[in-house]
Amino acid sequence: MARDKEYNRREFINRGARFTLGLSLAGVGVAAAVNAGSEKYLWQIDPFKCTQCGRCATDCVLSPSAVKCVHAYDICGYCDLCGGYFKPGVTDLDTGAEKQLCPAAAIERKFIEEPYFEYIIDEELCIGCAKCVKGCSAFGNGSLHLQIRHDICVNCNECSIARVCPSDAISRVPASEPYMIKGDFTANESGEAGA
Amino acid sequence: MKNKSLSFIVVLIIAAIIVVIVLDYSAKRPDRLGDNPYEYQFDEYKEVDTSLIGYRETKNFPVRDYKPGALDLYDNLLWIAGEQVLQVISLAGVQQMKTEIQGLPTCIEVNDQAVFIGFEDHIKKYSREGTFLAEWDSPGSKCVFTSLASAGEFLFVADAGNRRVLRYNLEGELMGQFEGKAESSAGHGFIVPSASFDLVVNSYDELWVVNPGRHALENYTNEGQLRGFWTAGSMNIEGFSGCCNPAHIAVMEDGSFVTSEKHMVRIKIYDSSGELKTVVAPPRKFLEEGQAPEVVVDENGVVYALDFDRNVIRIFEKNR
Repeated sequence: MARDKEYNRREFINRGARFTLGLSLAGVGVAAAVNAGSEKYLWQIDPFKCTQCGRCATDCVLSPSAVKCVHAYDICGYCDLCGGYFKPGVTDLDTGAEKQLCPAAAIERKFIEEPYFEYIIDEELCIGCAKCVKGCSAFGNGSLHLQIRHDICVNCNECSIARVCPSDAISRVPASEPYMIKGDFTANESGEAGA
Repeated sequence: MKNKSLSFIVVLIIAAIIVVIVLDYSAKRPDRLGDNPYEYQFDEYKEVDTSLIGYRETKNFPVRDYKPGALDLYDNLLWIAGEQVLQVISLAGVQQMKTEIQGLPTCIEVNDQAVFIGFEDHIKKYSREGTFLAEWDSPGSKCVFTSLASAGEFLFVADAGNRRVLRYNLEGELMGQFEGKAESSAGHGFIVPSASFDLVVNSYDELWVVNPGRHALENYTNEGQLRGFWTAGSMNIEGFSGCCNPAHIAVMEDGSFVTSEKHMVRIKIYDSSGELKTVVAPPRKFLEEGQAPEVVVDENGVVYALDFDRNVIRIFEKNR
């Protein structure tokens, strides 16, 4: 009688374990199927909300940050005196290192025709500090702005920059529309006042 | 006894973990983080030597119930064109007229014949009593009209979108246009990176156009020949900062210019050759990184500034 009882308990545990395992596998399968059908989301910065606080450079889990400066060329004025390239107060407009605003020298100034210059971001060097974005927004027309580069971003479950962003500029966006580039993306879509 | 010690240690570890999590969260709150190591510093340029400030703010007139778009001064009256509204007030702030118009104006010019109101790509003409008279056709695509000024039988229009000045007669017929290139080697056409592109006509009917990309004021004939210019590019108080300043100008009876800059907002007066005469209002009088106020000036040198950030007309008078 005691053996029967012991046998039944073991069998009960075995069956229970098999059932739980089966249920888990089925659950994973269903979840995978549901995920396959739904859209993936990625973190991105709304350039019209960004206040250039510098935390994209200091709080990303990656080093250097996955946040980079991007340039909306169709907005850019190709200015000789570029507020995103030169330190405030510079009067001799040349490419001397001491005159550059970017702490990583990540912006290339290229002559186009008198008096127009093109500004190209070297993303390998850019640390996402937004200093140039601030200068361009304050003294230019805001063509330089920050974006999270998805070829670098590891898409953390909770973005460590979003957690500390003082202007709530970082949110999840559909993977089908992963970037908010100025020009294509306007202040009206953002719901914020334009730059 | 052994179990009790074990329980105590487990509770202690859990408490320590909770404390670390709470501290981490509270330390990382956006409002509790430290200074930005990459701060863009230009505070030194916001300070202005008080001996340079020759004006003081004496009063202001709030603009209520609508969004203002442009300001002009004619016949000792302030003419304000705003969203759906044309309002006229005396220099003492008493309303003389308020009438309905359609759209959001960007510029206004009043002369002895009519009121011309510019919108993004077209102009509407009204009588001085506010009656709609005519709407002129848009002269093409990409127009962004930012300023109007009349001289005799002509109305000059600054088109920032196409970097050109249009010349109409007062009936709306397009008589000509120019892009400021002229034949001078010193000039290079109008460089207009943003929608800041102003022009004025002085008491001698001379047309002055801002070339914002060069921080220049340029004098043109009616046909668009460059006659002279001066520049003042600098973040210091003597010059114009950024890529697109001065954003607005007005001209005084003696030919001096009142200038208004955006972002590091400041209002100053230059003589007709570009020497800084005085500062009307330093940056600390305005919102940080604010819009450039539209400025007009009366025959006594009193400056009226339409502050778009605060929806108020601010009056600056000379220090006694």
